[in-house]
Amino acid sequence: MVGALYLVGGSADGLLDIARDVTPRIEICGPGELLLDLSGSMRLFGHPRAVAQELRRAAAGRGLRVGVAVAGTCTAARLLARARGQGTGEQGTGEQGTGEQGTGDIVVEPGAEAAAVAPLPLALLADMANEEPSSHRHTLAPSHRRTAAPSHRRTCPRTIALSHRRTHPRTLAPSHPLLSTFRRWGLRTLGDLAALPADEVAARLGTDGLRWHRLAAARDLRPLRPAVPEERFEQALDLDWPIEGLEPLSFVLGRLLEPLAADLDRRGRGAAVVHLRLHLVTRAVHERSLELPAPMRDARTLRTLLLLDLESHPAPAAIDRVVVAADPTAARVLQCSLLHRPLPSPEQLSTLRARLSALMGEGRCGSPAVVDSWQPGACGLKPFEPREASGRHGPQRHRGTEEGPQNLCVSVPLRPVGANNASNRPAAALRRFRVPVPARVRVEHGRPVRLRTDRRGLGGGRVAECAGPWRTSGGWWIDRAPKPQRHRGTEEGPTSLCVSVSLWPVEAWDRDEWDVTLGDNATYRAFRDRGTGAWFLEGIYD
Amino acid sequence: MANQALAAVHAALRARKLDRTLTTALPTAARGDAAATGIARLDAILRGGLPRGELSEIVGARSSGRTTLLLQVVAAATARGERAALVDAFDRLDVASAAAAAVDLDRLLWIRGSGGAEALLDRALKALNLVLQAGGFGVVAIDLADAPPAALGAIPFTTWLRVQRTIEGSDTACVIVAPQPLGRSAGGLTLALTGRSRWSSCLRGVDVTVRVVSPRRQVDGDVCVGADVR
Repeated sequence: MVGALYLVGGSADGLLDIARDVTPRIEICGPGELLLDLSGSMRLFGHPRAVAQELRRAAAGRGLRVGVAVAGTCTAARLLARARGQGTGEQGTGEQGTGEQGTGDIVVEPGAEAAAVAPLPLALLADMANEEPSSHRHTLAPSHRRTAAPSHRRTCPRTIALSHRRTHPRTLAPSHPLLSTFRRWGLRTLGDLAALPADEVAARLGTDGLRWHRLAAARDLRPLRPAVPEERFEQALDLDWPIEGLEPLSFVLGRLLEPLAADLDRRGRGAAVVHLRLHLVTRAVHERSLELPAPMRDARTLRTLLLLDLESHPAPAAIDRVVVAADPTAARVLQCSLLHRPLPSPEQLSTLRARLSALMGEGRCGSPAVVDSWQPGACGLKPFEPREASGRHGPQRHRGTEEGPQNLCVSVPLRPVGANNASNRPAAALRRFRVPVPARVRVEHGRPVRLRTDRRGLGGGRVAECAGPWRTSGGWWIDRAPKPQRHRGTEEGPTSLCVSVSLWPVEAWDRDEWDVTLGDNATYRAFRDRGTGAWFLEGIYD
Repeated sequence: MANQALAAVHAALRARKLDRTLTTALPTAARGDAAATGIARLDAILRGGLPRGELSEIVGARSSGRTTLLLQVVAAATARGERAALVDAFDRLDVASAAAAAVDLDRLLWIRGSGGAEALLDRALKALNLVLQAGGFGVVAIDLADAPPAALGAIPFTTWLRVQRTIEGSDTACVIVAPQPLGRSAGGLTLALTGRSRWSSCLRGVDVTVRVVSPRRQVDGDVCVGADVR
């Protein structure tokens, strides 16, 4: 059952409070008009009439004059409440035979809505038809819609020959063109319009006409949309004595985060961003924000993440007030699989990433990424956010590239594991020295014959086999190497736990590369810088 | 009498949670409990691959194919839809090589070490511990191939016992890549690699011979695996 409140006189300030005493599911249709979902309130009040009486009594107590109607559909309740409030339904037709009339409240039993609204004037529909969003109109188009009406129907008394130009509902004035059309057809009440065949109305007036027809029959175009109160998730604590260090702060955060998480849990929400504001004794405010990779509401996880972030970004002075706030979002719904191995949850992954970042340093953990560059050793590191298992061992597939200063190939499996390729052998891997190791190379007849480095553990010796040179160069247009670029996670914005995609610094290179096997069977990739003539070891095949 | 003594020893070890040191107490690894390496001949000899919930090792000298085999193991794990983690203590991973080995990079957590050798090893072992405790990874590898022998020798043996304890009963196969055996796990495998580069007019690849060293596995012989340079 749906109840409607229509304000006739007085201030609309108290109207919402009256409705909230009855049900939390309220749709605000206008400044003086409310729709109430009473489906759960019947157990409390017993009968719709009791609800209506309670609403009227509460309104009278606040000095408000309202029209109250209870019906099975939102449309019927609104129309009847408006009619009662405006006095247009005083003919009594709204209550006769279909509902109950007692103290002025209208209560319509389910199934009798169309009959209850039938005597009401068509003008009541003008405002309601204008309110409906355009998105709903598309769902109302009849499947049997015809492009033109047969000519013989034009003489039929229930169908009228018309020349109607459809107008967008949002631009309609209260004097709706359809209203004048209906008046020309001789229709005066909602019952008159509802009695027309729906397909004929749709054929002549399109979806707008069909909307009017459905409203006239007291049918809903959409379900009730309860107004969602503004959600604010924030906890604060003023400390008696200032605290320093993470350990005492840990207890404070735990005390704040637990009710915050419980509040999120109660409303079925998760935290997308957690804000921490530390008011310091110096009257400064130390603010940190964590952008979470997935909605979370686990207090322990949030506390751990905040503490790990504060390890890297400690407050500069003692703290005398702590405020924790969360930006809510829809909670994560997880369906576990019986067929796949259990995967770490986003909470676990976030905690792991934060711990690893604290241990190894920022930008040292993530998923490797291939960079679309010929620069030797170019690679990227992006947040570790593994996808769900697809179970496909499919053929070669390229999952696209990301736009950026350099194109970052997200992942490019060049061949499926175990596939029959030309040699059916795995690819020999290179162990790359991030900083090339300087080497001393003796060259005879243009080929290296002896190689030695000062790096302990690498050794050197006579060159047993070598091949080359392969000349490669690039980046010559760059004056100087820029710093590694970051796409996301700027210092001004919230600190993202899925931090950034750090790209390899672009540098100029011009060199001759050689593959060299020494006497101890170690095979290196060496190169000679053509600018300086110096030799380096780039990596070792392993 | 001997049986009673043996039972008493077993009970004492179990009481001290050292029963994993008894190879006879370990369950026989079924085929489904192994993380396949992606190399059919090697998987056949290993009876499915590297055992899950155990600490295995890939050891060998430079250019013996350790990294190639490791990337194959990681590629096979990611191809199965599992997550893999690589604690790259000396930051030696070549991403192009990993992509060429068909590693699904989105499913690989790459932890890059930096700093001095001792602090670096310490941090790498802590990172390994964090990843193993987090769980949910099919394969977790730590690359210590470039660590100095002295630094490796200074790692307490209990470190590997603790690692073994952490993954015991889990679905994670932990792999150490090192120049010499370190973990010596009773339930895990040690793959000793020797490699020889293959040349014609230029470097064609590396021929890798894998010898399986395990107290619990009957191995028919060495496996030769060829890897091509691409």
